[in-house]
Amino acid sequence: MVEQTTTARLEPPLQAIDGQEFKWLTKAALAWLQHHQEAINALNVYPVPDGDTGINMVLTMQSAWEEIKESPERNVGQVAHRMAHGAMYGARGNSGVILSQIWRGFARGLDEKTAYRAQDLAEAFQEAVTTAYTAVVEPVEGTILTVARAVADTATKATEETDDLVHFWERLVFAAHEAVVLTPSLLPVLAEAGVVDAGGQGLYVILEGMLRHMRGEPIAEDIDFSEAVYLATAGLAPSEIGYGYDVQFLIVGQELDVNTTRQKITAMGECPLVVGDQAMIKVHVHVPDPGIPISYGASLGSLRDVIVEDMQAQYQGFIVEKEAPAAVEPQPAQGVGVVAVVMGNGLARVFQSLGANVIVRGGQTMNPSTQDLLDAIESLPNEQVIVLPNNGNVVMAAEQARDLSDKPAAVIPTKSVPEGVAALLGLNPQADLETNVSAMTLAVDGIQTGEVTSATRSATIDGLEVADGEIIGLHNGTLKATGSQVEDVVRELLRGMDTAQGEIITLYWGETASKEDAQTLAELVQQDWPDQEVEVVAGGQPHYHYILSVE
Amino acid sequence: MPDQKRSLGRIEVSPAAIASIANAAVLSCYGVVGSANRDLAIGIVNLLSPDSKRGVEVHIRDGQISIDVYVIVEYGTRIITVAHSVMNVVKFSVERALGTPVAEVNVHVEGLRVSHTD
Repeated sequence: MVEQTTTARLEPPLQAIDGQEFKWLTKAALAWLQHHQEAINALNVYPVPDGDTGINMVLTMQSAWEEIKESPERNVGQVAHRMAHGAMYGARGNSGVILSQIWRGFARGLDEKTAYRAQDLAEAFQEAVTTAYTAVVEPVEGTILTVARAVADTATKATEETDDLVHFWERLVFAAHEAVVLTPSLLPVLAEAGVVDAGGQGLYVILEGMLRHMRGEPIAEDIDFSEAVYLATAGLAPSEIGYGYDVQFLIVGQELDVNTTRQKITAMGECPLVVGDQAMIKVHVHVPDPGIPISYGASLGSLRDVIVEDMQAQYQGFIVEKEAPAAVEPQPAQGVGVVAVVMGNGLARVFQSLGANVIVRGGQTMNPSTQDLLDAIESLPNEQVIVLPNNGNVVMAAEQARDLSDKPAAVIPTKSVPEGVAALLGLNPQADLETNVSAMTLAVDGIQTGEVTSATRSATIDGLEVADGEIIGLHNGTLKATGSQVEDVVRELLRGMDTAQGEIITLYWGETASKEDAQTLAELVQQDWPDQEVEVVAGGQPHYHYILSVE
Repeated sequence: MPDQKRSLGRIEVSPAAIASIANAAVLSCYGVVGSANRDLAIGIVNLLSPDSKRGVEVHIRDGQISIDVYVIVEYGTRIITVAHSVMNVVKFSVERALGTPVAEVNVHVEGLRVSHTD
């Protein structure tokens, strides 16, 4: 979908930007960044190759935009300050923190201005770079920092040549692009992976989005981020709470008392979550009457970001979505509940059938936040909860959620789907937490995981050369096999997996494969390994053609 | 010491070596402007001292590596996000260098440095 985000096109020459114009530039930057989010994710190899730079920068800019979107302010210094505050408050990930520092310095450089001219912008970019470099002991070149500096230096030079901001901004975008292209020559890890720096690319895209707005060019419409991450909230029996309202809001005030607020809110309804500090408290609660917690919150301070959702409607939406309306078994409030992070409907059903109570959607490029996991833990009626992250990138968030939860909770650090399945097989809901943790940890030991996917770019990984689009096979996270045919890679991978020592080979086929493909493959695997049992399971996972386990 | 059995013998990596790796990772972390010296009760803070490993403590119990880092963070950054970055980067760097899992990384924000108050 392509449409313009602006209400009015600017007529050149543009010589000054006021607060309202800066607001629309921010929106344009956000929309253009969202458009490029996946591509930026795919570039992310430094400092940790977790593929989340794009989404982190988008969420940071989203927060910046939310802060100013309602503002009628025309003073650009004021708007920039609020925008920078929003970016800081919503900064996600390393790249998000750097970006928020850039905006913080940028805003400071223009404190007294009512509108930006080229000279002001050049000073603002210089201040942005100074501020960004201040917050790190050993700045790493070949990153977003390098790109920001190139932009600032060019801005200073460009003021001598033009005062038309469109021309001025064109120089900045060009300089950003040149600097991005050079990042692999400054940071060897980028060169080895055959990518440019993801954060630097993000900054370039932000500036380019702003330029497109100045020129009146179309910008991709936003992506909806409000999709629910929950497949099911199994523990909520309809009769008990009658699906009232899901209420969320922020209380902003002075000397707020989090503990007292938590006690009051907890007494009002189900699934309470009250966190914050003296200046701001985040409240989430399920109640039959949304007016009660909102009135209480308003008595403490001013309310912001109030969200009230009808859970009956949510529940019906969930029922409609659900393919097979399996009988909802009453969940025991006693014993241990399980939260599992998986991607794909098939895998969600596998985990539910094995006893997982809540499925949190997450996977390779969209890791659930600590808050998502905490909400899932708190939503269970069970007094004790075990979390299965099922991905190495999610383990940390799961452990944080465990630490933040008021309930006794434990994380079995499963790094893959097969490990998660193995862990669930060790679950005994009647036993206590400690017994389950040791039984499930033991069950994970010795599980071998294979993952087969397509390379998203050409690179050298673990000493193997991979071409874009080639099929690659990973054994316990390490690249072991490459090829042009999925079947060949699966079979080669199994040959390297101590398969002879195992008893059962399981193939989880993903959304890119079909049942027929999977069965044909299973027959080939059975011929290779006549002594082992071969199982085929519909996983429905994205990205991975097959996930294999040998146990 | 975490030791890994190999056919020819054992490989041992000392906590001090792990601390060096962790320290280098911490100081490259955006938002961290120094390490805090925890040994001294008076709490002297080492700003901008890349050689110091005193802001890192490595504990090895039952073959599990746990790392505590004590840092000074730049005022104006989102501290919780910086702390999460430190956790991720330390864990990733040490695991990549050693090939041994790190059980936990605890980040202690001991202070803030104020460069600009805005």
